[in-house]
Amino acid sequence: MADLELSGIVKSYGAATILHGVDLAIEDGEFVVFVGPSGCGKSTLLRVIAGLEQVSGGEIRIDGQTVTNVPASDRGLAMVFQSYALYPHMSVYKNMAFALENMGLAREEVDQRVRRAAEMLRLTEYLDRKPKALSGGQRQRVAIGRAIVRDPKIFLFDEPLSNLDAELRVATRKELAALHAEIGGTMIYVTHDQVEAMTLADRIVVLRAGRIEQIGTPLDVYNHPANLFVAGFIGSPRMNLLPSRVTAPNQVTIGNETRPVSVPSTGSAPVGSDITLGARPEHIDVVPEAEADVVIALDLVEQLGGETYLYGSAPGLPQITVRQDGQAGHERGQRLGLRLKREALHLFDADGHAIRIR
Amino acid sequence: MTLSSKNPPASSALAGSAQTRRTSPFLRQVARIVDWPMAALQRLIGERRMPYVFLLPNLFFFGLFVFVPIAINFWYSVTGGPALFPSERPYVGSGQYSYLFECGSYADPSSCREDHFWRGVYNTVTFSFFQVVAMVGLSLLTAVVLNMKIKGRGFFRAVYFFPVLLSPVVVALIWKWILQRDGILNAWITAMGGDRVLFLTEPTWAMFWAIFVSVWSHMGFYTLILLAGLQAIPSDIYEAAEMDATPRWRVFWRLTLPLLWPNLVVVIVLALIRAVQTFDEVFVLTGGGPGTSTLMVVQYIYETAFSNQVQNFGLAAAASVVLGIVLFALTLAQLAYTQRKSS
Repeated sequence: MADLELSGIVKSYGAATILHGVDLAIEDGEFVVFVGPSGCGKSTLLRVIAGLEQVSGGEIRIDGQTVTNVPASDRGLAMVFQSYALYPHMSVYKNMAFALENMGLAREEVDQRVRRAAEMLRLTEYLDRKPKALSGGQRQRVAIGRAIVRDPKIFLFDEPLSNLDAELRVATRKELAALHAEIGGTMIYVTHDQVEAMTLADRIVVLRAGRIEQIGTPLDVYNHPANLFVAGFIGSPRMNLLPSRVTAPNQVTIGNETRPVSVPSTGSAPVGSDITLGARPEHIDVVPEAEADVVIALDLVEQLGGETYLYGSAPGLPQITVRQDGQAGHERGQRLGLRLKREALHLFDADGHAIRIR
Repeated sequence: MTLSSKNPPASSALAGSAQTRRTSPFLRQVARIVDWPMAALQRLIGERRMPYVFLLPNLFFFGLFVFVPIAINFWYSVTGGPALFPSERPYVGSGQYSYLFECGSYADPSSCREDHFWRGVYNTVTFSFFQVVAMVGLSLLTAVVLNMKIKGRGFFRAVYFFPVLLSPVVVALIWKWILQRDGILNAWITAMGGDRVLFLTEPTWAMFWAIFVSVWSHMGFYTLILLAGLQAIPSDIYEAAEMDATPRWRVFWRLTLPLLWPNLVVVIVLALIRAVQTFDEVFVLTGGGPGTSTLMVVQYIYETAFSNQVQNFGLAAAASVVLGIVLFALTLAQLAYTQRKSS
C-alpha cells in the first residue's frame, strides 16, 4: 500500500494537450474513482500514473518518492486492463505466476501466492484453463488475480467492467468492493459509469477535458456539485437544469414561466441575471397546477415497477425528468404541475459555478 | 444474376440501392443482358447446382493446365524410351523409380546409379536447411525491428520488400555481376589490397552465395507475413508485461515468440516448399557448379529432360513425381497445422 501525489501533471500529444496540470493527492488505502465522459483524459491520467505514458510536465510521487521518470516496470504498481490483457497462450495459473517469476520468487512462494489469490477469486478450478476457455467475468477475475498476487503498492483499474454484461457487472462490482475491504490496498479506478463511481469510491474525481472539475466523496459530489458539468454528469437520470432568471433577492422565474419561485438564496447573483436552477428528478413533487412552479405536458411515462419516471416539456425549458416512488398513474399528454423541493435545489451562476445556498 | 427464384433479379433488386445509383448505365445494361440467361439456366438445373456453373470455367482451365499435366507426367514416369508422344512410349512400370533409387549407400551419392539425382537431393537438403534457418531468422529479426517505433519505418519496410518484386533471374544476374571473378566485390577487395576470392567457383562459397542471394531476394515476403503477425499481437499484452516488470528478453521468448508461432510455422513451411523448388536463381548464378556442388533437384530434372544430350523424359518425370510427393507432404503438413489452429 502507498499514497500517491500528482502535481501539475500535463500530458500532450503534439499540439493536443490531454491533461492540463492535474493536482491530486490520494491517501494510503483509499479507493479513488476517476470518472468523466469519453475523451476527458481519465484513462490517460491512469496510464501516466502507471508509467505507460510519459508526462509532458509535472511530478508524480509514490510514498513521497518521485517516480515521474521511473519506468512502469519499476514503479511497483499493478494494472487491470479494460481488455483484460491476459496472456492468451498461458494457463490461468501461468498468467498469475508470470509476474512473480519475473520477481525471481521461489517456486513454492509463487505457488502459494497464486493459489491464495485463486481461492480468494474463486478461480481454483480454472487454474489449468487457457483464457479463451473462460467467461468474461472469469477472465476479469484472472486479470484482478494477476494484480493481487504481486501485492502492489497501488492497484490501477482501467474500466475493468466495461466488457461485461449488465448482470455480471453488478456482481463483479460487489466483488471488487469486497476485495478492497479485504485487502485494503490503495486503488485507483477509471470508469465512465457513475454508478460504479458512486458505489465503489471513497472519493470521486470528476474530470472533463483534462481538468479536474471536482473531488469529493460520492455523496458530497452528488449533493454539492461544484458546477453545471458535475451536476449534469453525476446522477442518473441526470439533474434537471432549468434556465432561470433572478427577479428579486432569493426569487427566480423558470424558463418562460412568470410565476416567481422563492429559493433559499440567490447568493451574489444580481437581480436580472441569468442563472441555472438544478433539481434532481427525485426532488420534484407533482402538485396541483395552482401550487406548481412549472407546468409540463407529459411526453413519456416509464414504469419500472418500484418507481416511475415522468418526462415532460414546458415552453422555454429542456425536457424535465421526475422520479416518483411506486407506480404512478399518469399518461402521456397529461398536464402536470411540478414543485421543486426548496431544500434540495441547486443554483448555478451564468458561468456555471455553483451558488452556495446551504 | 439470380440465385433464388424467390428473389427479384439482382440487377433490379439493386436498382433502388445507393450502390446501383452510382453504377453506370452501361454496367446496368450489361447486368440486365447477363441476367436472363442465368435466370433461365437456374430454372432449368435448379438453385443448388448454380454454384458449380460459376466454378466450372475456372475448374476446366485449372484441370487442363494442372491435373492433365500431372497425369501425363506420371505416365511418362512409368514409360521409357526417347519418344515424345505418350502413346509411343513403352510401359516400363516402376523401372525409372528403381533406377533412381538404386544406391550402394544413400549416404554416399557417388555410390548411386543416378548419382546426379542424389547429389541434387543432398544439395537441395543442405540448401533448404540453411536457407530456411537464415530466412526465418533474418525475417524475424527484420520484422521485429520494423515493428519498433523507428524513424523511416515506412521507407525501410518498402526497401526490404523491394527485392521480392524483382524477377529471380534479374536478381541472380545482378549478384553474378557483383560476385564473379572480375565482379565488383573482387574489384573492391583487390583495390583494398586483398586477393581475389572465387565466390562462385569454389564449392563452399558457391553454396553460401546461392543461399545468401535466395534469402536476400525472398526475405521481404516472409518479413511482411511476420510483421503482420507482430502487429496482430494486442499492444495491451505488452503493456501488461511491462506492468509485470518483465525483462525484454523474456517478453520476446515468453510472449512474442509463442504468440507469433502460427505465423512462424506458415513462414517455415512456405520457405521450405520454396527452397525445395529452387531452380532459377541458383541456375543463373552458378549453373549448378562448380561441378555439381550447387546442383539442385529441379535443375537435375530440367537437365535430364531437356538439356542433356540424351533426353530422358521418363527418368526426369520419375524424379519430379518424387519431388512432388515431398512437396505434397509439406503442403499437407502446413494445411493440417493451419486448420488445427483455426478450429
